[in-house]
Amino acid sequence: MTHIELTEQTCNDAEQTPPAIRLSGVDKSFANGNQTIEVLNNVNLTVAPQAIVGLIGASGSGKSTLLNIISGILKPDRGQVCICGAASEEFNDWGSVSYMFQDDRLLPWRSAIRNVEFALEPGSIAKKDRAQRALQALQLVELEGFEEAFPYQLSGGMRSRVALARSLVTEPRILLMDEPFSRLDAQTRALMHEELLRVYKLKRMTVVFVTHDVAEAVLLADQVAVLSPRPGTIREVVNIAPARPRDITQPAVASYMQRLRALI
Amino acid sequence: MAKNSSEVIDNKSVTQHFSRRLRLDLIGQRLALVVVVIAIWWLSSLSVPHYILPGPRRVWDALHLIAGNGDLWNNLGITLWRVAVGFVVAALVGLPFGIVLGANKRAGEFFEPVIPVLNTVSSAIWAIFAIIWFGISNATTIFVVFMTAMPLIITNVWQGTRTVNADFIELAQVLRMPHWKVMTKIYLPTILPYFFSGARLAFGFGWRVSLVAETIGSSSGVGYRLRQAADLIRTDQVFAWTLTLVIMMATIEMGMMKPLENYLFRWKKDAATQ
Repeated sequence: MTHIELTEQTCNDAEQTPPAIRLSGVDKSFANGNQTIEVLNNVNLTVAPQAIVGLIGASGSGKSTLLNIISGILKPDRGQVCICGAASEEFNDWGSVSYMFQDDRLLPWRSAIRNVEFALEPGSIAKKDRAQRALQALQLVELEGFEEAFPYQLSGGMRSRVALARSLVTEPRILLMDEPFSRLDAQTRALMHEELLRVYKLKRMTVVFVTHDVAEAVLLADQVAVLSPRPGTIREVVNIAPARPRDITQPAVASYMQRLRALI
Repeated sequence: MAKNSSEVIDNKSVTQHFSRRLRLDLIGQRLALVVVVIAIWWLSSLSVPHYILPGPRRVWDALHLIAGNGDLWNNLGITLWRVAVGFVVAALVGLPFGIVLGANKRAGEFFEPVIPVLNTVSSAIWAIFAIIWFGISNATTIFVVFMTAMPLIITNVWQGTRTVNADFIELAQVLRMPHWKVMTKIYLPTILPYFFSGARLAFGFGWRVSLVAETIGSSSGVGYRLRQAADLIRTDQVFAWTLTLVIMMATIEMGMMKPLENYLFRWKKDAATQ
């Protein structure tokens, strides 16, 4: 009976504005040879519109799998995924969901601006409008003047900005990020955090990011969801109260970090 | 940010300056080499009968003669046309086949032995088969060029297809890019450098084998003229034909292929600093 109730639950509750993302009872396992590995077990998570949510957990807790399920490139074995009030299978506005990878994944044969345009190319936007929007996105991440540079000519931080511009050019309502700055050095990473928060202030999208860095989670997120090790399930969702911008030297921030470290 | 940008520009102008000096040096060296070769040629020709080794002057006259009566341009045109047709057909067949063999693992494994076998068959053997099948005709030369160029292009494209970055495919997938756009926007640019180097190799080989094919299976073209000149012991004309071919190939290679490659692959670190 409980199972039937689960599937009958609708994504759109007319009474109130729907959450940006809602996962209910999500299970996922992978086949590995003749054994199955249970990666996610009964994951429930609700992300409010325009919230910044960090996903942390030990490696192998299924953080990236969870992100891939939200982005729709993986199907859950069981459970329901709602995106902006629509069931994931019926949701048809994937253009408004952006995904930023661990590495920048810039196409080496394209200039910065053409790399940003790439995100618009699945659609049917005219070439001229694409270039115009890509230019605006590059301006947004303060890379004006580097439109024609090829990836090999850019530093790690600049490449990361191009990747961010590529995620933003589609004007996403939801931005998913899988350890997006983990490959950068500490200083550049801090700059990218500022950059992200600056853009967030301007654009106000929902952000869900995976990280293994507790400090990163506490510095950026409104809420941090802690995943338990395999099979991953949400152990606790911690609200991070202090106003942004935060600093790890703040006692409140430090105590959140301690609490989260104890939870992982 | 401004500091960064000036650094980029400085770097570029410094490399440009160096490469210009380097290029001037190189041109001087090449000219000196040509002078030395011609001098040795001229000195050697003084003590040998002209039908064994004609001097530069004699070859120049022969060149003048065949260029003047239109013989040179006609036959060069015919040969070039045959090479081009064989090469284009080889590219049209080789590119899709290479992609399919690279993208489909089972097909790749099945056909893997065919390419080395094709590569080991000498062009002269293809020429003999071509004469049996097509007689003395354009098709003979075209076929030989095709059979030589096609395996080279397939091999290179095949290799290129295997280097397609799975991360880029995943990126396209996340963006909901339709399959045919993934082909044109990710597969094709990845394969292009491999295709290009294969095509260059194939074109060069195609030229050489076209002459072999024309000497035995044609009544026109540079290869045919070369044999005719040799039969008539017009060694000066043999030299004249050879010289034209060398100059033409060098012009195509350095004047067209190399700049085109540098432009197409300017996104590569090496190509940009050349």
